Amino acid sequence: MLTMVIDDSRAMRLILKRIVAQLGFDVVEAGNGQEAMDYLTTNVLEGGGEIPGLALVDWNMPEMNGLEFVTAVRAEPRLRGMTLMMVTTESEQSQIVRALASGAHEYVIKPFTPDAIIDKLALLGLVPNGVAA
Amino acid sequence: MTNPTEDDLKVIADQVWSSYLDLDGASPLVPLPHEKPVDDVTASVSVTGAWRGHVLVSCSEAAAKHVAAALLGIEFDDVAEEDVADALGELANIIGGNVKSLLPEPCALSLPHVHVDGANGRYPSVTEVCHLEGTWMAESVTVTVLESTADLAGAPA
Repeated sequence: MLTMVIDDSRAMRLILKRIVAQLGFDVVEAGNGQEAMDYLTTNVLEGGGEIPGLALVDWNMPEMNGLEFVTAVRAEPRLRGMTLMMVTTESEQSQIVRALASGAHEYVIKPFTPDAIIDKLALLGLVPNGVAA
Repeated sequence: MTNPTEDDLKVIADQVWSSYLDLDGASPLVPLPHEKPVDDVTASVSVTGAWRGHVLVSCSEAAAKHVAAALLGIEFDDVAEEDVADALGELANIIGGNVKSLLPEPCALSLPHVHVDGANGRYPSVTEVCHLEGTWMAESVTVTVLESTADLAGAPA
């Protein structure tokens, strides 16, 4: 599955990339929501390329934050197949509700363990149950 | 809701270290002051809204390079300056975000700022709420929460 890892920290992108790569997912990285939208516009909407099945999305990023990205993706019917998981330090209940109401499917709070990510992917049916170590 | 405490910072730091910096449990952040606390590198995030202030992560240059090496999966000697800024900034973002969850709502978190020339004078009109001094890999690491004492116009509250 093609997966977008969207975070302004290269270190965090690498951590997430390692987790999903071990599941056999292919990864495209973006440093903020705008970069991710640019990729989707150029390669998917205009280029006819593969629609990512999953995006792991940070919240606090420059240019376009994660919530704005989720809203933008949800506004594009051709991207409705993308599963969106917020991976963020925003841990207040009100923020979680806001993200889910905007169209995120799942929510993981930093810091996280690899198993926390994989468990959420299993809940979404993207990996078999019991994959986590 | 009360201000965060040193114990809160310990819990948050333990979670961060066990998730990213001490995966095998062999090199935890020991919550004892280093004999020579230093702030060669400081990463900070600012909190605005119902509570205003800053969360700082300060450490020695060597500790900052260890953080970058661990997060980026590279050798200590291969760590570049931009690696330190990225990794320590993300560390401040994660710790700051968890501190924010203890504060009154609504609050917003800034993007991280990283500087390498000490924190003195960078945070005027603040009072220290709590701090955690620790030693990691024989190096100094400090987490500090500062609350702004100025009103929104910059005058002392």
